[in-house]
Amino acid sequence: MDELPLPLDGVRVTDFSWIVAGPQATRILADLGADVVKVENESYIDSMRLGMRQDPKNPSLNRSGFHSNLSRNKRSITANLFHPKGREAVERLLAESDVVIENFSAGAFGRMGFSWERLQEINPSLIYVSVSGFGHVGRDASYTTWGPSAQAISGATAMSGLPDQPPAGWGFSYLDHSAGYYAAIGALMALHHRARTGEAQHVDMSQIECGMVVSAVPMLDYHVNGRSYERVGNRSRYPATAPHNTYQCAGEDRWIAIAVDDEAQWASLCEVLGLDELLEDSRFADMASRKTSEDALDALIRGATCEREPFDLMLELQARGVPAGVCQRTDDKQERDPQLAERGFYPTAPHEELGEHRYEGVPMQFSKARWRMDRGAPLLGEHNHAVLTELLGYSDEEFASMLAELAI
Amino acid sequence: MTTPKSVPNDSLPGPLEGLRVLEIGNLGEVAGKLLADAGADVIRVEPPGGGRSRHVGPFVDDDPGQPSLLHASRNTSKRAVTLDVTQAEGLEIWKRLVGLVDVVIDATTPTFLDDLGAGWQWAESQPDLDACVWCSITPFGRTGPRRDWAANDLVQLALGGPMMSNGYDDHSLPPIRPEGEHSIAVSNEYAVSGILAALWMRNAGHPSQLVDVSIHEAVSATTEGAFPNWEYFGRLVQRQTGRHAAPDPTAAWQFLAADGQYVCLINGGLPRGNSAWDGLLDWMDEHDAAGDLRDEQYQELLFSDPRANPEGRRHVADTIGQFVQSRPAEEVYRRSQSLHFAWGIVRRPEENLDDPHWADRGFFWEGEVPGVDGTVRYPGAPYRFTRSPVRLRRRPPLVGEHNHEVYVGELGMTSEELRRLLESGTI
Repeated sequence: MDELPLPLDGVRVTDFSWIVAGPQATRILADLGADVVKVENESYIDSMRLGMRQDPKNPSLNRSGFHSNLSRNKRSITANLFHPKGREAVERLLAESDVVIENFSAGAFGRMGFSWERLQEINPSLIYVSVSGFGHVGRDASYTTWGPSAQAISGATAMSGLPDQPPAGWGFSYLDHSAGYYAAIGALMALHHRARTGEAQHVDMSQIECGMVVSAVPMLDYHVNGRSYERVGNRSRYPATAPHNTYQCAGEDRWIAIAVDDEAQWASLCEVLGLDELLEDSRFADMASRKTSEDALDALIRGATCEREPFDLMLELQARGVPAGVCQRTDDKQERDPQLAERGFYPTAPHEELGEHRYEGVPMQFSKARWRMDRGAPLLGEHNHAVLTELLGYSDEEFASMLAELAI
Repeated sequence: MTTPKSVPNDSLPGPLEGLRVLEIGNLGEVAGKLLADAGADVIRVEPPGGGRSRHVGPFVDDDPGQPSLLHASRNTSKRAVTLDVTQAEGLEIWKRLVGLVDVVIDATTPTFLDDLGAGWQWAESQPDLDACVWCSITPFGRTGPRRDWAANDLVQLALGGPMMSNGYDDHSLPPIRPEGEHSIAVSNEYAVSGILAALWMRNAGHPSQLVDVSIHEAVSATTEGAFPNWEYFGRLVQRQTGRHAAPDPTAAWQFLAADGQYVCLINGGLPRGNSAWDGLLDWMDEHDAAGDLRDEQYQELLFSDPRANPEGRRHVADTIGQFVQSRPAEEVYRRSQSLHFAWGIVRRPEENLDDPHWADRGFFWEGEVPGVDGTVRYPGAPYRFTRSPVRLRRRPPLVGEHNHEVYVGELGMTSEELRRLLESGTI
């Protein structure tokens, strides 16, 4: 596979991002072949380096697997922005870059001396992607979010949970992922625009807006039909199908999702579960009546699944064409999902301090290109010499004096 | 702020101006929309009765004979034609359409179009299609032992892992699938990056290619801490109400405010800096709610070693949690944000429609929904391009609305041919 090209070979990204949302964006660009250079400083690191460290007593900043999964395939330099030579090195890097990405609070990058006006002076063809909670424009732009508060404000939390329970929300920062996905799209769209017109621009991303775009249907429903959003748990309101739910299985906290879409699947489900009598039950005669009798239906199905081994049941149902899937844990995905294994979704890569580990792959395959999983996250400052001398043209002597002056 | 506060001029071209895209199948409408709103000319190809989303509610006036709002949400800025590709003549027309475009979004099944002789395998063998990016979006990808498995959004979010992180402290309650078809969202977002990356290569002189997107993999890549917890520590995360799943239980983040609306207190409400802490205590003092928190031991435990004295930290969090439950949610949200806490208010989706911040950004797009008088506010795009606006370019198309425009205007058919195709049910 190594002979295939990387799609974004030749694109360079200066990466001021940290935590999850920004690094998720530059992870996609780096996996697809862009040269992503993370800019940090020992007093201002990507704090993910401190997250889930393998040995918290070890002071190394290179021992977080969480960080390694997010920042793999990137390079790292340390630059002291308070030293004129450190700042000059960053400006030279920006001059050699196609894109700069940051996800500080709105305005912070400008206060660091990199306003959009200044960026244009440094490099008129540089694309600037900012990722923040509320965006850089608007009356609440100074407000800040983390994934969970962005999810709450956007409506994504309210749309998760059982109708008679509080919002379940999300058990992770979903909007950090999707803000990263959209920021990668924003960078690529801006690159295409620049290729066609020569124009660079600022792409101002809002994390909350990333949540609102997936709340579009309830918003339109409110506008058009005057309906306020109400949670439906794991059932399906649109289309009004049943059964469509999660059902407890044998084992500790084991659940299977089953979603019947037509009469053939309904018949197959009843047979597999040994519930043939339901096929004669007028309460469940067609989709509309099953939907009306959904509480009774779900109770009967739960009664039939609760002693079943979930994976065996899934295989039996899938063999009959019934949409069914175990609520998989991470160990299920990594150790026993033959589809993910066959598609090479968890490739292994080395890391100087963490050793060989698996990484999440890129969810697509190219027929005439590849994505890469060459190496874990860079050690802090690992590429100082390579970037400054090979890319930015500093001599070894200049590099040595910058080191000595703590400029890098 | 670094950007002028003017809304970009609506007459400016989008970032993908000039790109031509054909979209077919039921799982790629969001990818097509993202490209279309950015200025690409996206033609959605539907069977003569219309694609699946047109038949899924909610409908205008809750009348299944009226346009679908699910369809409207995913098909802004596109054109639409009807075509039955299972008919021989329809298939030939499909092949001619492919010849018009830069990108095909094929969200049918891994084999549907190849079995008809007009899928990627056919396109790859056509010398005149050497500039075409063919993006396949399927539940499990085009290869592998489970590529033909049956799935929908619920099943994908179960298999891909997010559900086991979402739910309640009480594990007799099930893992939860958030509504919104997030498996479509994340896979289509990845698909757009894949398409744009493949086009980037093509423009650098590389040939056409297949981009094979797996929804299962896109969902599997979207679980944050669950992966490193297992890979590096062999730990499984446990779902908790309204906050991150974790290997061990953590303190509550979500509280019911005095007016019955929930609020989300990041980090259980604990401050990250001294000035925020002082501001919070002043706010609590206004309501005689600070209790003993001004005692210096709490300052010490909050900002020295986060691992020391978990009981003390729990007491601080509990006191803050009690306090926010005595105040209205909007006050908790606005006041905490003014103190630089990143707290949130749990809004229903429609509660954002009248928040003026989004109007300042031009986030909502005024546009028509077929069957509705006047205009509605569509949620727009989560990125604001300063020079090439992403925006609503057309209202969602009616079934076959652009048949004449495309088949006569662009493929050069006669009106008589078009009529005959309509009568034979080919379009």
